[in-house]
Amino acid sequence: MSVNYSYRSRTLKKNLPRIFQYIILSVAVVIVIIPIVMLIFGALKTRGEFMTRPYTLPIPPNWENFARVLKIPSFWSMLLNSFLVMLTTTSGVIIICSMAAFALSRLKFRGQDLIFNFLTLGLMFPITIAILPVYLMVRQIGLTDNLWGVILIQTSFQLSIGIVILCGFFKSVPSELQDAAYIDGCNAFGFFWRILLPLSRPALAAVASLTMVASWNDLLVPLVLLNSESLWTLPLGTMQFQGQYGVNLALIAAFVILSAVPAVIFYLFAERQIVSGLTAGAIKG
Amino acid sequence: MKTTLVGEDVVVLSKKTRSTRRLQGRMTIVLFLLPALALFLIFLVYPIFQSVYYSLFNWKGFGPAVDFVGLDNFKRILTDQIFLKSVGHGLLIVVLSLSIQLPLALALALMMGRSLRGRAFFRTIFFMPYILSEVITGIMWMILYNPNPNRGFVNAILTLIPGIKAIPWLGNTSTVLMAIFIVLTWKFFGFYMLLYLAGLQNIPPEVEEAALIDGVNNRQMITHITIPLIGSTIRTSVYLSVLGSLQVFALVWIMTKGGPVNASEVMSTYMYRFSFVRFQLGYGSAVAIVMLLISLVFSLAYRRLVRQTDYLN
Amino acid sequence: MKKYSLVLFLVGILLVSGVLTVLAAEAPVTITWWHIEIVENQIALWQGLADKYMAAHPNVTIEITGYENENFKTKLTTVMQSGAPPDLFQSWGGGVMNEYAKAGLLLDITAYLDKDGWRDTFAPGALGVYSFEGKNYGVPRDMGMVGFWYNKELFAKAGINNPPATWTELLADVQKLKDANITPIALGEGDKWPGAFWWEYLATRIAGQAGFTEAYSRKGSFTDAPFIQAGEKLQELVALKPFQSGFLGATWGVDEPTLMGNGEAAMDLMGQWAPGAFNDSSTDRKGLGDKLGWFPFPMVEGGAGGSADALGGGNGFAVGKNAPPEAVDFLKYISSVDSQVAQAKIGLSLPVVAGAETGVTDPMLKLVQQGTAAAKYFQLYYDQAMPPAVGSVVNDSVQGLFAGTLTPEQAAQAIEDSAAQEIK
Repeated sequence: MSVNYSYRSRTLKKNLPRIFQYIILSVAVVIVIIPIVMLIFGALKTRGEFMTRPYTLPIPPNWENFARVLKIPSFWSMLLNSFLVMLTTTSGVIIICSMAAFALSRLKFRGQDLIFNFLTLGLMFPITIAILPVYLMVRQIGLTDNLWGVILIQTSFQLSIGIVILCGFFKSVPSELQDAAYIDGCNAFGFFWRILLPLSRPALAAVASLTMVASWNDLLVPLVLLNSESLWTLPLGTMQFQGQYGVNLALIAAFVILSAVPAVIFYLFAERQIVSGLTAGAIKG
Repeated sequence: MKTTLVGEDVVVLSKKTRSTRRLQGRMTIVLFLLPALALFLIFLVYPIFQSVYYSLFNWKGFGPAVDFVGLDNFKRILTDQIFLKSVGHGLLIVVLSLSIQLPLALALALMMGRSLRGRAFFRTIFFMPYILSEVITGIMWMILYNPNPNRGFVNAILTLIPGIKAIPWLGNTSTVLMAIFIVLTWKFFGFYMLLYLAGLQNIPPEVEEAALIDGVNNRQMITHITIPLIGSTIRTSVYLSVLGSLQVFALVWIMTKGGPVNASEVMSTYMYRFSFVRFQLGYGSAVAIVMLLISLVFSLAYRRLVRQTDYLN
Repeated sequence: MKKYSLVLFLVGILLVSGVLTVLAAEAPVTITWWHIEIVENQIALWQGLADKYMAAHPNVTIEITGYENENFKTKLTTVMQSGAPPDLFQSWGGGVMNEYAKAGLLLDITAYLDKDGWRDTFAPGALGVYSFEGKNYGVPRDMGMVGFWYNKELFAKAGINNPPATWTELLADVQKLKDANITPIALGEGDKWPGAFWWEYLATRIAGQAGFTEAYSRKGSFTDAPFIQAGEKLQELVALKPFQSGFLGATWGVDEPTLMGNGEAAMDLMGQWAPGAFNDSSTDRKGLGDKLGWFPFPMVEGGAGGSADALGGGNGFAVGKNAPPEAVDFLKYISSVDSQVAQAKIGLSLPVVAGAETGVTDPMLKLVQQGTAAAKYFQLYYDQAMPPAVGSVVNDSVQGLFAGTLTPEQAAQAIEDSAAQEIK
């Protein structure tokens, strides 16, 4: 009898709160989405309309702002620059971190722990704090106003998190696999390249996603390093555009939305990898 | 007989592999570690040492540093009202994040639970703001916070309530920090929620079922079972939240540049202004060192605490 | 074989002559040009001039980057630090430009100016702002003064028949506007320099030329009585709460002209570039039209300054040390009379080139021009006249006065400390 009673109350308890849960979650969804939707509405208005009735439904929608942004040649060069920097940085991070993580987690040598701790010190030394010293360093090498300066800095500051994630994953690979490979005549590099890396696809994807997001959205390093407009990346260009055309709120809204499109598309395709990458990085860290 | 032979063979074989492993070991290790170590030394370690050096000078950035002032820069930092304000603001953001942002994310994660239908949809939506760059978020909210109710969405909604006047969110020294915090919450709560969801996934369902059979109600379940089991995730989120709050830059710089009148100044904007706007590079280096020390102290304290707790568990 | 070697020989000659022709043709030159125009028809004017020049000189490419004012100042400082200045860039002359000249970052164009009488086309006073120790490093395009731009219609609505001639009258007018529920003053104090105009004008009216020269030459001090009084007078104004809500975070680029251009505020103490910005920021792009009026900064009772003293400055372009000769040639091109007339017509510049005054058709801008010409004492904005470090302290301290976080004494002391350190 008592079992039946608690079973019923359990289902009731589950159903009633369920509705509340949905309501609350839906309210949260609305709060998250509304700013973006309002911005889109605003971008579909003319300059004058934005000054008087920006947040009503834009009917008929006015595409001139979007068209205008797409016609700006520097918009496309910014897109390209961001893309190049992101690709190079991500490739660099993947290769360098996997190599270092392999040495730190699958090979044995003295001072291993020391080097591991040393390389993960970077976690508490983020680029926001380090920007001035790093800028002075890059200026000495002569890499200011150069995309390679941006790439090298971004790569260096992603190393710690990449090593932490990959070490964590590599450690979980059974050592029998490695021993078997050695017996078969593989050397360390062979094991690394032909067995470990293919096995580690999810972890590598996670690190890649983390790096791609960080690199694409980076404002500080390009802001400080890049002077020539032809080298600007997208976040930097968006900021400068807002400064120059700030009066035309509708145009700015259109620019901001268009500059968000690549990130959103990437997110929708790679959501799972990004999420697992960020949570893996967070949990391990 | 055979066994012994095989045994010997195995011993000989493994001896050979071990020594070859050691030979290529050293070369391999060096090669594998070299790129990471090189980049790290050049772009992280060396700059720190350089900035310790520069922090002892008064330096405009042109030519070599010649005006030695010793620890004057550090004295100045510790007595500068604006720097102290920026530390205070940073701490305030940390406290607000820990008391509002994280609990909110946790509550929503608990609500999403294990078997809520439409979970994937909710997750996608809530996480989206995290993907958008700080630049995009900052500019978007600047437009929404416009003081004129005809142009700013927040004020447009606010003035619908009779008797309420439009508030200049980013222009008022008393509201600006709160306004920025709201944007920070909007952007980051999805990340923490996802973190908690991942942690919740790791709780074996048998534990929850066992507790239910024992007659535990919802509240007891949450406080005595669920939360303790995701303890390490919560600790991680606290660590990330504090570090993140101490580093926020682009969002603040774009929306207010630390203003009005330093009311939203944080350590990173303070350092940026002295370094890249005023070009007082000796002083800026000193500020960077101070920020690094703060971050270091916090990280080490956290590692100590976490090691102890997780070790005890 | 002989056939082939002949062919080879002919091909070789062709190749060599081709290469030589290409080499002999003018080598391509790129000029980088940084300006700070954010008004759309002004951006278009610069681009148009560049396009025309590039069409006439096919080997020259002009890369224009337009910056918002504050971003420009930051970016220029950074790029100067790395020792690679742009070829042509916005400059307000004065102490800031002098620092760059001292550091060897600018090109000495004295010889260019002496050739073909280019020097004589410029108003000497204006050209002088862009020279240092007898050498020229840039040329002006615009010189004017700061004054009050006001909305005649809103003034009439508040019952103000004539613009104020004294500080007391100004305060009274502010009160009248408040009583009529009109925002009296538009101010973008987030940028700090718009507010500095107020304090600098008060200082100019109270201290006069003598007072400023005393302090600047370090014989006197910025904590002398006139500068403290300027702060006190400013406090009188701030106490009336005459600015739009949120003014401490507002900007010149977006908020001030939007308010004025759409008739949401009654007056704005701003320079000669204001009308262009007002028009561009208004909903219909036409601005206030003939509802826009101008009056000079009022007298301050008991002040030592003359009522015709002007605070102001201009705009021009400085030349970076790596600039090719084509850059200076292009500079000459955009300083021509025709270019200046075109600039005047859209309110971009008050001309400094002889013969271009006719381009100023707006009666209000004519008033500004006359005021500038008639000024017995012309004070360049403090943050351009003095070294940049002092200028930024002036701007910050005045913002403190507006926010009520600094007393007049504290503000003056901060400026004095900085001046003592920087001006030797």
